Amino acid sequence: MKKTATYSQENPVIRFFSSVHLAIFLLIALAVTSIIGTIIPQGQSQQFYLDNFGPTMSKLTKILHLNDTYHSWWYLSLLALFSTNLIVCTLKRLPFTLKLFKKDNLAVSSDYLTRMPYKRIWRVKDGVLDNELMQKLLSTFQKKAGSFQKKPNVDGGTLFLVEKGKWSYWGLYGVHLSILIIFLGAVFGSFYGFKGRIMLMEGETTDHAVRFDTAAPIPLGFSIRCDHFFVSFYDNGAPKEFRSDLTILEKGKEVLHKAILVNDPLEYKGVTFYQASYQAIPEVTIRVASSTGIQRSFIIPAFQKVSWPESSMTLALLKYIPNIHGVPAARIWIGDGTGQGHALWVLQGRTEKYTRGDTTYELSLVSASERYMTGLQVKKDPGVWIVWLGCTALILGFAIVFWVPHRRSWLWVGPKDGETQVILSGQTNKNKIHFEKDFRELEDSINSVLGNQ
Amino acid sequence: MNLSSSYLLSLTTFIYLGAAALYMIHWIFRVRQVGVLATVVTVGGFLVQTAGIILRWTESYRLGYGHAPLSNLYESLVFFSWVTILVYLVIEWRVKRRVIGAFATPFASLAMAYASFSPKVADSIEPLIPALQSNWLLAHVITCFLGYASFAVACGLGIMYLVKMKGAHHDEKPESVIGSLPRLKVLDDLMHQTIIFGFLWLSVGIITGAVWANQAWGTYWSWDPKETWSLITWFIYATALHARFVRGWAGQRIAWLSIIGFLSVIFTYFGVNFLLSGLHSYGSG
Ligand code: HEM
Repeated sequence: MKKTATYSQENPVIRFFSSVHLAIFLLIALAVTSIIGTIIPQGQSQQFYLDNFGPTMSKLTKILHLNDTYHSWWYLSLLALFSTNLIVCTLKRLPFTLKLFKKDNLAVSSDYLTRMPYKRIWRVKDGVLDNELMQKLLSTFQKKAGSFQKKPNVDGGTLFLVEKGKWSYWGLYGVHLSILIIFLGAVFGSFYGFKGRIMLMEGETTDHAVRFDTAAPIPLGFSIRCDHFFVSFYDNGAPKEFRSDLTILEKGKEVLHKAILVNDPLEYKGVTFYQASYQAIPEVTIRVASSTGIQRSFIIPAFQKVSWPESSMTLALLKYIPNIHGVPAARIWIGDGTGQGHALWVLQGRTEKYTRGDTTYELSLVSASERYMTGLQVKKDPGVWIVWLGCTALILGFAIVFWVPHRRSWLWVGPKDGETQVILSGQTNKNKIHFEKDFRELEDSINSVLGNQ
Repeated sequence: MNLSSSYLLSLTTFIYLGAAALYMIHWIFRVRQVGVLATVVTVGGFLVQTAGIILRWTESYRLGYGHAPLSNLYESLVFFSWVTILVYLVIEWRVKRRVIGAFATPFASLAMAYASFSPKVADSIEPLIPALQSNWLLAHVITCFLGYASFAVACGLGIMYLVKMKGAHHDEKPESVIGSLPRLKVLDDLMHQTIIFGFLWLSVGIITGAVWANQAWGTYWSWDPKETWSLITWFIYATALHARFVRGWAGQRIAWLSIIGFLSVIFTYFGVNFLLSGLHSYGSG
C-alpha cells in the first residue's frame, strides 16, 4: 500500500476505525471465537449445559449466550465493529484511489521513463528516423501494445502511452463492499423473512406453516396440498429419492402442481417449500366381532381415535410393527369412553379376545398399510438476492484484484544527449512475469523496425 | 487382469511417494538430473491418476448410478492430491524452481497414502443419496479443493520460508542446502500469490456451498460446524492477506499464518467429520 502522509491532526477515532491493525485484530478474534460454537453444542436447554459442563460453565454460557454463539451480543458486536472498520477504511482510501485513477500517466519526463523496471533505449543515427520509419514504428507499437495516446513536446520529443486496466483499482472496492452487501442481505432477510416447517399427510391441505424459532403459526396467504409422497431406495438400502407431489391452491382453486425433490424446491409468491423429511404413518383395519353378534370393521390411522358409539368403545393405534414373525402386528388401545381402557397386541391371522362386562369382543387385523406424511421446510427470505449480489461482487472483485493488472507502456521519441533516441519503457502493478514476456515481444518487434540502430 | 481404477490409484500413491523422495534428493544433494527425473515421475503419476479418476467415473456408470468421483472421503482425497500436483506443476513451470517440489509433492503423496491405506477410508463406489444429487456438488467440491490444494502448496512455501530464514545466518552459499532455496523475497511473493489464489477459490467454494444449501435445505448459512470451520479458515487467510499491510509483520508471520491456515483446512476437512457432528458428516466414510 502506498504510504501516505499521516496527518498528525487526523481524528484519532477515524484513525482507530480505519486501521488495518484493527482489521487484523478483528479477523483473528472472529476466527478464534467462532471455534466456540463448533465445540459447545448450540441451541440446547439451560439444563443441558448444567448437566454436561457444570454450574460455572453453565452460568458463563448463559451470560455470553454460548447456546447461540453466532447470534450473541458480543459476536454480533464483533461483526458490527468489523463492518465499521470496513466502511471507514473504504471511505478513507477513496481519495487516494481516485487520485491514482485520475493520475495522468502522460505527465512524465523522459528521464522518468529510463528509471522504469522494464526499458530499452535505441539510439538512432540522425536523419534515419524519417516520417516513414516513424509511421512503421507507431503502427508496430499499436499492433503489439494497443491503441495509444499521444502527447507532443515532452522534453523536446513526443510521448506515446498505452494504458490498460486502470479501472482495476476498483476491484478491491468490490471485494470489501461485497462483505457489507452480504451482511446487509442477511440482516434484511432476518427482518422480513421467516423459516418454518409444515408436516402434511398425503391428501391434506394447509394454509399456514409453523415457525422454527417461536413455533407460532405463519399464514401463507394461499393453501398447499400434498397429493403424494414417494420414497425409493438403492439396492444397498441407501435412500435414492424423496419426492412430494404438491399443489398450490388459491381460494380453493388449483393454480400450480409441482413434484419437489431434495435439491429441487417449489417457489410460490416468494415462499419456498423444500423436501426436508418424511414419516411413514401406519393405518390398520381392525375387525371387531362382539359376542352379541355384531361385527364391524374400522380403519384406524395413527394419531387418531375411532369411536363406536353403539358399544361406547374407542379404538386407537398405539404402535405398529410391519413384521413380527413374518406378519404385521398392531398394538390397539380399546377405551370405554371414560378414559379407562386396555391395550393389546393384534397379530394378523390371529384373533384376540377382549371382555368387558358380559360381552366378549374378538379383534382381528384385516390389513395394514402405510400412509406418508411429508416434512416440508418453508422459507421466505427477501434478502437472499442481496446476499447473492454481494457474493457476485466478491468473486468479480477478486478476479479483478487477482488477474487484471494496471499496465502502462510508454514510447518516447526525441532528441537526447545529442542524438535521436527511442525509449520504450513499461510498468505493471501485478503479474510481472506475464508482463515481462509481452514487453520483450514488443521490444523485439520495435527492434526489428529500427534495425538495430 | 482387468485394469481397474483402484489399481491405477494405488499405483499413483507409490509414484507420488517416489516423486517426493526424488525432489528431496534433488534438494539435499543438488543433482540437477534427479530434479528433472522428479518432474518426469510427477507428470507420469499425474497422468496415471487422471486416467484412474476417469476410469472410476466410468465404473460408476457401469454400476448403474453414475456420478462424478467427488462424493465421499476417498474420492475427495484423490481429487485433493490431483489438484495439489496440478497447482504445483503450474508453479514449477512458471517459476522454474524444482526445490519447491520437495515441499509440495509430499502433501499429495500423503493424501493418496491416507486414502489408499487407512481403514477409515472406504474406497467403494456408492450411489448418491438425495442431498448430494445436485450439480452444485461438483461446483462446490471442485472449487473448495482448488482452494485447499493451493493452501497445501502455500503451507509448503511457508515451511520453506521458515527453514530458509532459520538457516540463512550460517549458510548463505548458493550451493548449500539452505542456499539452494529461493530467496526470502521470492518465497514471500510466491506465498502471497498462492494464498490469494487459494483464497479466491475458497471463497467461491463457500459461496457455491451456500447456494447449494439454499437449494437443498432453504438456508444458505446454518452455522453447521463444517461451514463454520471453513469460515474460520477463511478468516485466517484474510489475516494473512492483510498482514503484509501492517508494518513489522514481515514474511515470517505470514509463513506461520500459512501453516496455521493449512492446519485449519485439515481440521475443516477431517476433524469436523471425525470429531464434531453436523450436516456434512456424510462426508466421513
Ligand atoms: C473479510 C473481509 C475482507 C476481505 C475478504 C478482504 C480482502 C482483501 C484482499 C483480497 C485484498 C488484496 C490483498 C492484496 O492484493 O495483496 C485486501 C487489501 C486490503 N484490505 Fe481487505 N479484506 C477484508 C477486510 C478488510 C478490512 C476490515 C479492512 C479495514 C481496514 C481492510 C483493508 C484493506 C486494505 C487497507 C488493503 C490494502 C489495499 C491496497 O492494496 O492498498 N480489509 N483486502
